[in-house]
Amino acid sequence: MINLSTGAFYERGTRQIGVLRSRAETLQNQIGTGERLERSSDDPVAAARLRMLERSERLTEIDSRNSDMAQADLELADQTLRSVADIVIRVRELAVRASAATMKDDQRAAIGSEIDGLRSNLLLLANSRNVSGHALFGGQATGAAYVDAAPGATYIGTPSADALEIGDGQTVLPGVAGPELFEFDTSTGPTDLFNVFGNLADTLRAGDPAGGAFVQDSLSLLDSGLEKITTAQTVVGSRLNWIDLMAERRADMGERVANEQANVGGADIAVTIARLQETLTVLEASQSSFVRLSNLSLFSILR
Amino acid sequence: MASDLLSIAVSGARAARGALDVTAQNIANASSEGYVRRSLRISEVAASGGAGRVGDISLSGARIVEIRRNADSFAQAEVRRTGSDLARASTELAGLRNVESGIEQSGLYSSIVEFEASLQQLAGDPTDPSRRAQVLAEATTLANKFNITAASLDAVGAGLQFEAQAATADINLVAGELSRINLRLSRAGAGSSDRAALLDQRDQMLERLSTHAAISASFAADGGVAVSIGANPPRSLVSGGAAGTFTTTIIGDGTLQFDVDGQPTEVSGGALGGAQAALREASTIRSRLDALAAGIAGTVNGVQANGAALDGNAGQHIFSGSTAADLTVIMRDGAGIATAPATAGAGSRDPRNLVDLRAALNTFAPAAGLSSLLFDVSSKVAGRTLTQSALATIASSARVTLEQQSGVDLDAEAANLIRFQQAFQASGRAMQTASDIFDTLLGIGR
Repeated sequence: MINLSTGAFYERGTRQIGVLRSRAETLQNQIGTGERLERSSDDPVAAARLRMLERSERLTEIDSRNSDMAQADLELADQTLRSVADIVIRVRELAVRASAATMKDDQRAAIGSEIDGLRSNLLLLANSRNVSGHALFGGQATGAAYVDAAPGATYIGTPSADALEIGDGQTVLPGVAGPELFEFDTSTGPTDLFNVFGNLADTLRAGDPAGGAFVQDSLSLLDSGLEKITTAQTVVGSRLNWIDLMAERRADMGERVANEQANVGGADIAVTIARLQETLTVLEASQSSFVRLSNLSLFSILR
Repeated sequence: MASDLLSIAVSGARAARGALDVTAQNIANASSEGYVRRSLRISEVAASGGAGRVGDISLSGARIVEIRRNADSFAQAEVRRTGSDLARASTELAGLRNVESGIEQSGLYSSIVEFEASLQQLAGDPTDPSRRAQVLAEATTLANKFNITAASLDAVGAGLQFEAQAATADINLVAGELSRINLRLSRAGAGSSDRAALLDQRDQMLERLSTHAAISASFAADGGVAVSIGANPPRSLVSGGAAGTFTTTIIGDGTLQFDVDGQPTEVSGGALGGAQAALREASTIRSRLDALAAGIAGTVNGVQANGAALDGNAGQHIFSGSTAADLTVIMRDGAGIATAPATAGAGSRDPRNLVDLRAALNTFAPAAGLSSLLFDVSSKVAGRTLTQSALATIASSARVTLEQQSGVDLDAEAANLIRFQQAFQASGRAMQTASDIFDTLLGIGR
């Protein structure tokens, strides 16, 4: 004879209802948080993947912060280069005017003084600071890039700027070093715009003793200088493009990461709700059948 | 000996009363833990006729022979074995889950990522004092998180050790109880209700013992039990009226050592076996965490020493300590972070040493290291969860089997109640008949 023990019946009933309840609670929790994983052990592989995604998301945030900074620096450099180009063009105009034979010496001297003033302006521009307060054209220097050494100026920065990481192992140079802008080669060796300006100013203030030949030479030097500046503008422009491109790429990556996070760790609300409903239905059914069965005692019939 | 209708009826009524008592006892104990359904064995009392009186009717009614305990020792052994397995798996799982929570909820992983991120941010402008300060702040958080994680692993270990000590005390209590039960069983009469109650107690004690540790029990004819505990080699805990002393000692790495009367043994199943397994796992994880902390400190300090701080001096150590528990940040000023190579002067923006530091950290990969540690723990927890739920099902069905076989079925008891009530009434009617016969005999003379 099979003995249907009362204790066993209650133990089975409570166990089944307990299992259903805990399943319903897990599903409810998933709906509440929108996360499929409450702790790593719910799905170790997915949790490990989520951790890697979380890390790359965080590091990408820093990448975009660094990239924003590089962009600000380069935009500042771009503006400054435009002003530098304006100054060079203005000096060239003045030099052309000074080379006219009708010019008197005192007029030339006045032009020379103006050019000297423009040289100071150029020095100020060359020493302009980036967003974090360092020399924009000083490479890795912390203070100024150039010191005045009339007629020229001496570069005290480092030969190049530091490359900045902007994600995916890609880097960008957030600045242009002074020598790349202001120095250029001539037939007689390297010189820079400060020297050209300074010498021109000195010569004109002295009344142009060489009779126009020096000014003519200076004009071609100014052209080379302007060319160098224009080249630098192009380089800065292309770096800005590169940063834009990488920013887009990061945005795409971010979207992919978010997508994958949702796929790996997110709870599908529709499916989860349906499963919860199913579980609750089964739970209700087993609760009511449990109550009915437990009422089915012979004692309740015996009178 | 001749038959006596009245005494036959009385013996029947007595047997039916006994059966009713047993039924009532069964109903009363329907939900008592460890109670095994009793039933009465009633047998006929009759004598064979003596020499020359073969034809006599010689009936003396019925008597209660035995109060039977409907226990199946195989089912009970199964309950003990599966219960022991379940207790081991549950304790181990609880320990591992706590270890997992300890590492995961301390936020150690995200603080490692934040530390890496702060170094990456510093690369944007190596001389920026606020970025330098942030690196130190994140380093401090990282060290604190390591300390917190180590402390929570210690707490998990302490909890498991405490449980093990409590289980040890209970094992000794139960062993003493079992030896006393053995002595009383040797004196209890066979088939008595006293004996049945003692056997219930014995089985309950064995079951309680088996949730603490895997045991093996062998039974003597009088119901007395000899218990041995552990493996490699098993040690005798209870033998007759003598009980051994079980001791648990916490050894150096936080794991447990078990002895019976000073003789070492290994405990495999039960809560103690689970605690041992979890403690061994926690100890391994602890040493991996220590290696991670030491690795981060060593990598950062090593590269620091190759570079120059903001003031141009050689870089000093950022971290001190070589375990997760004692990792601290000793650098106070962010200016001390050696971002520039040793040859660079004061205030240099040259980030080469910072690049080296980040490359060295990338090679050591603390985030990946911790992630794989977490993965190992969590996949163990996931695996153990499956095992535990399987063992829970097995243990539960073993218990249900035992309950079905030895538990009380109220419906059956209700039927018995009616059956024995009727038997009692029938015996009463037999007495009535005997009385009527007697009256008839008395009336003959009138």
